[in-house]
Amino acid sequence: MTTADQFNVHYLKKHYAKRQVLDEVTFSLQAGQTHLLSGDNGAGKTTLLRILAGLEKPDSIQIDLGMGPLNWRHVKKTLQQHALYLHQHPYMFDGTVNYNLGYAIGAKLTKRERQRQIDKALEWADLKQLSQAPAKSLSGGEKQRVSLARAWLKRPSILLLDEPTSNLDQESRHRTLSLLEAFKSNGTAMLLASHDPMHFPSLIDQHLRLDQGKLIRIDNQNLIEFDQTHPNFRSTA
Amino acid sequence: MLESLPQPNTDHMDSLTTTTLAALELLFSGNSELWEIIAISFRVSGVAILVASPPALLVAFILAYYQFPGRRLLISINSTLLSVPAVVVGLTLFILLSRQGPLGEWKLLFTQTAMVLGQIALAFPILVAMGHSALQACDRRAWETARTLGATPLRALITIMREARFGLMAALLAAFGRIIAEVGASMMLGGNILHYTRNIPTAIALESSKGEFAQGIALGLVLLILAFTLNAFLQHFQGKGQPA
Ligand SMILES: Nc1ncnc2c1ncn2[C@@H]1O[C@H](COP(=O)(O)OP(=O)(O)OP(=O)(O)O)[C@@H](O)[C@H]1O
Ligand SMILES: [Mg+2]
Repeated sequence: MTTADQFNVHYLKKHYAKRQVLDEVTFSLQAGQTHLLSGDNGAGKTTLLRILAGLEKPDSIQIDLGMGPLNWRHVKKTLQQHALYLHQHPYMFDGTVNYNLGYAIGAKLTKRERQRQIDKALEWADLKQLSQAPAKSLSGGEKQRVSLARAWLKRPSILLLDEPTSNLDQESRHRTLSLLEAFKSNGTAMLLASHDPMHFPSLIDQHLRLDQGKLIRIDNQNLIEFDQTHPNFRSTA
Repeated sequence: MLESLPQPNTDHMDSLTTTTLAALELLFSGNSELWEIIAISFRVSGVAILVASPPALLVAFILAYYQFPGRRLLISINSTLLSVPAVVVGLTLFILLSRQGPLGEWKLLFTQTAMVLGQIALAFPILVAMGHSALQACDRRAWETARTLGATPLRALITIMREARFGLMAALLAAFGRIIAEVGASMMLGGNILHYTRNIPTAIALESSKGEFAQGIALGLVLLILAFTLNAFLQHFQGKGQPA
């Protein structure tokens, strides 16, 4: 987090051509909490996540840093420092899985220390057998795990996930879920765009819904009341 | 001038064979004058590519990754420059560098530096055009992934150049192939001075006009082999550059 365990965003506005995609959106994220971001196709979920990652410029934004207003360059820098965006379809750099994980580690470490960290991440995401595989040729689920392990090495305070389970089978979804739970227990704040909250039953603390550029808070109760017989619902002990 | 050109002896197939054999002998006996000319060619064109590539690839990157007013215009200007004949580039620089020209004080005319300048001007638009399409073909998520993983803009730039390396190699090879074989600009700017600014294409032009075909053919062979090698590499890289 920036200062406290809370990260506040105010007056986030963004339009494309004549369409106001985000209209004075205000919300906060908390360390160790996961917010689900839902909304119809084209509602602006990806746009919101990309802005929070500093990859896209908003029309206006205020983030709480305990300082006065900052211009976009400073906000962008802060966001890039703290937040990490995971594409819906993760991008793999040309090279091995090992290389891709190493990319997330600062250049200052010794070679040995780097490899030690990479090995930990390989173990964490169960990728050991694939460490020397060319990352571009991995399956969707394996790429997802590489991308999470890469993020894990960066230890962002905010993780922005764009439909992380959209193309995964049930087995890969469960693996993704347990990796995300590990992020959560490490205190990472997560904002997760998804159409299907039932993919993450144990993970979600709050449900936000984008509709016509407005962000609506959906009561926790409502989330629980989702159909518990849904095949993807997995109760956690 | 043209009428004074000796006509090649085409009566005998023989003479072509003899000349080619003489050419090969010149090449492989390590004729120092010949190899010096070859070395000058490679040095001048190599330096030109080395100097032109970083700024040209930076321009290519900016064209591929940033939207700004005038971007389209820049792209069309660059495409136009691609088809400007080498002699015109040579003439322009000649006027600039000549004693009365605005850059006359630099006293660069008829030096290797002038040749390098001419070849930079020829290579630049090729590097920009081919670099631009190579970088544009590179997935935008590469840049974004690098940035969100904490890469500085410079490191992210190096990363996408690495991702696009086959396309960029192809750009370098194509530009090198173009400038090492061009005669117009080198002739005007270098002046074809033996041991100094005589390179492969200007030597061929001179030797042939004197009727000395052996050396011309020997140098022509070098260019041919070079063109073949460059093309082989080019195809190799362009094949690899295709998206999977
Ligand atoms: N670069 C852009 N230029 C113009 N319009 C854009 C751009 N990016 C997004 N949009 C528009 O903004 C709106 C929101 O898009 P966004 O991708 O954020 O939606 P989303 O909620 O992620 O949708 P999905 O569920 O389909 O992923 C869409 O109408 C889209 O067409
Ligand atoms: Mg989206």
